Amino acid sequence: MSEVKVSRTGGLLGTEEGKTFSWDKVRQVANPEIVIAFTLFTILMVLAVFGHFLQTHEPMQGDLLKRFTPPGQEGYLFGSDHLGRDLWSRMVDGLQWSMACALTANIINLFIGSTLGLLAAEKPGALRIIVNQFVYTLQSLPGLIILICVVVVVGQGFMTLVLTLGLLSWVVYMRVIYAEASSLFQREYVQAARLAGVSRWSIMFNHVLPGVRASLFVVFAFHFAGLLIAESALSFLGLGAPLGVPTWGNMLAESRQYMIRAPWMLIVPAGAIVMAVVTMNLVGDGVASLSRKKGRSIDV
Amino acid sequence: MVKTVVRIDDLRLEFLSQAGPFEALKGISLEIGEGEIVGVVGESGSGKSVTAMNLLQLLPRTKINVPTGSISVLGHDVQAMNERQLQAIRGGEISMIFQEPMTALNPVLRVKNQIDDVILRHRHVTPKEAEQISLKLLADTKISDPQRVYESFPHELSGGMRQRVMIAMAFSCSPKLIVADEPTTALDVTVQAQILDLLKERARDTKTSVLLITHDLAVVAQLCDRVYVMYKGEFVENGKTSDVIGNPQHVYTRALLNSLPEGKAPKSRLATVSAAMLEGNTGEVIDEPIESVTRIARTGDTILKMQGATVRYPKDYNFFGRPVSFHTAVDHVNLEIKEGETLALVGESGCGKTSLANAVVGLNLLSDGAILYRDKNILDLNEETLREIQIVFQDPQSSLDPRWPVWRIMTEPLTVGKSPGKSELRERAADLCEMVGLENSQIDRLPHEFSGGQRQRIAIGRALSVRPKLLVLDEPTSALDVSVQAQILNLLLDLQDEHGLTYLFISHDVSVVKHIADKVAVMFQSKVVEAGDSDQVLTAPTHEYTRTLMNAVPSLNRAFAA
Repeated sequence: MSEVKVSRTGGLLGTEEGKTFSWDKVRQVANPEIVIAFTLFTILMVLAVFGHFLQTHEPMQGDLLKRFTPPGQEGYLFGSDHLGRDLWSRMVDGLQWSMACALTANIINLFIGSTLGLLAAEKPGALRIIVNQFVYTLQSLPGLIILICVVVVVGQGFMTLVLTLGLLSWVVYMRVIYAEASSLFQREYVQAARLAGVSRWSIMFNHVLPGVRASLFVVFAFHFAGLLIAESALSFLGLGAPLGVPTWGNMLAESRQYMIRAPWMLIVPAGAIVMAVVTMNLVGDGVASLSRKKGRSIDV
Repeated sequence: MVKTVVRIDDLRLEFLSQAGPFEALKGISLEIGEGEIVGVVGESGSGKSVTAMNLLQLLPRTKINVPTGSISVLGHDVQAMNERQLQAIRGGEISMIFQEPMTALNPVLRVKNQIDDVILRHRHVTPKEAEQISLKLLADTKISDPQRVYESFPHELSGGMRQRVMIAMAFSCSPKLIVADEPTTALDVTVQAQILDLLKERARDTKTSVLLITHDLAVVAQLCDRVYVMYKGEFVENGKTSDVIGNPQHVYTRALLNSLPEGKAPKSRLATVSAAMLEGNTGEVIDEPIESVTRIARTGDTILKMQGATVRYPKDYNFFGRPVSFHTAVDHVNLEIKEGETLALVGESGCGKTSLANAVVGLNLLSDGAILYRDKNILDLNEETLREIQIVFQDPQSSLDPRWPVWRIMTEPLTVGKSPGKSELRERAADLCEMVGLENSQIDRLPHEFSGGQRQRIAIGRALSVRPKLLVLDEPTSALDVSVQAQILNLLLDLQDEHGLTYLFISHDVSVVKHIADKVAVMFQSKVVEAGDSDQVLTAPTHEYTRTLMNAVPSLNRAFAA
């Protein structure tokens, strides 16, 4: 068995350059939690990318003769809804829609939040005060209500949703990056670099940013789950995707009337939401534990 | 016939790690008699702390394997005892003083809870009586206001106070044996002197045996009756302190004593342990001293001048956020350094030397006064000239980015304003490695793969990459072992010789300062109380504080005092 070197200062992730991947390292850190998390995540990704090939029916096409078919019968994997549309195929479509929306919004959030976090953490001064006050204000506003207001005013649609979520939900990134970067900017090697005359951008990019990489991954995963829920909530209220587009939230909304008669109409989208959110949370946990510091051995 | 308090016989100990068992102790035998003060001296990694922890069975039993050896403490075979039996003797018959008083004392409990706790556990007294005993113990440790200290939290006390509390706790149940693991390493020199004297006095008064673990031979010289010298898990030499220090038999002991700057010709090359251990040693006494290269300071014009330099930090703020009162860290300091010279700034913690050093490099702004580099105010210098002043920090662990490979760390200053290619940088890094005594093949490695001394070399290499003229060194060897310190001091002297560097050397270690400095300035509570030629200041000081400082420094000669 080759000798596995795990850094004393960091865990597996967010450590250094020149690190080579090795299956030994994977074996060392793989515990049931992480394995399950990444398996589920892979399934989710496969469905998201290749879902179209796995759909059994046309998601928007309803067969009025086959309404409320229970799951497993007549070729409907998850059953059919009140219009005879295949729930499995609709669920896959919903997955793609929700994932695309959440992913794009997440990326926008990441850029806005990290940039502001880094700038505020760099040195005390006017910028730090302004950014902090701005963030406090934003944090004090009720997120969902704002989203609802914006959508009511601007109208529904994919881009609206993405932009609204993207421009308003970045606070968590800013807070996490600000906290971590603040401590990193105080490190002696940053001072040494400053003394040597290294530009502030170089310091931010080459010294501090690699240090917050691990936290960024973790926040990305957890925030993804949050955005999925936000999008579902809005769709449920009828403010997300336009009617008819099969997102999970819409499917939930439609299922309300028929809950007793065809409970699978409720269980399928609800279950899907739960699965996706739990998966992303587990992935976040997994990434966090991979980047945790290893315990010190006894000093001789 | 002196009773034996501790007897260790041929003890071997292995740590069970992922990479296989690691032999920490390779068959050691030790004996402590009643009322004796015995020292175990060695460098980091030698196994001395393991020995101490093992006496009290404080190491996790599942992680170690003891193939052979017996430990008998006060007649008990501690390895055969279970946790309950051990708890009965820990604190009662044996007690321990740890290195870091802050982490050894519980920060959320008042001192009184902690001392009384120990007393009530082992002695059958009422809480009221325990309080009286505690207060008497605190008074015995020469604390001037025992009642106040008794009621305080640990963070309200200074380091020296906390260590006195620890000593009081250690003596509280009249133990037969006290194990002290580097009890004064974290303390200032003057405080260290007081604590050591106190420990010796109390031990003699109560006829308690003491096992003192330390890396500092001078401390051993001052305190211990007998000493064991430890190297890589083995005792290479033992005997009466005056014998071991005055007439060392083993190669390692000789090398250790030779690598101490104390008593050597100033600016001479110090012997290093690795050199001695490599020379196919047969345990023979090597009598000829390693060639001493004495250097004459090549001095020129004044390169750095501090005029009335003052650094103030804001203390209290008013309602609008404006500072209303200040703490003066550096108070109107006037100093001069000539080119090619080494000026040492000596003082204890909190005296302002680091603040002054930071001001020289530009990490702090002066609140008053000016610092002139080659007769120009450093605030007016252009970037290129500013780069002629570089700094080496104290802690090699935190001053290097743990994510960067060494070549990148060393050449970072060269990337300012220009973008040299990667291969060019790697070449330069290889050159720098050679300059500071590292192997070229190491340039792709990360900091954590190096030892402390090597990391400090990397830091020095980084400082040298831009060819500075003035190097500020903030306690560069304080975090290093004695033998490694010797290597770094040799390196610094060589570099100064080759490149005509000027050093501003900050330290609290007087023997190091005596070895490499031409001029010395002593700082006390933000002022420079004495400055002048190093010979004059260190051997014939005029200021009272300097005299206290010099007297407090533990010296090997104390071994021969009565």
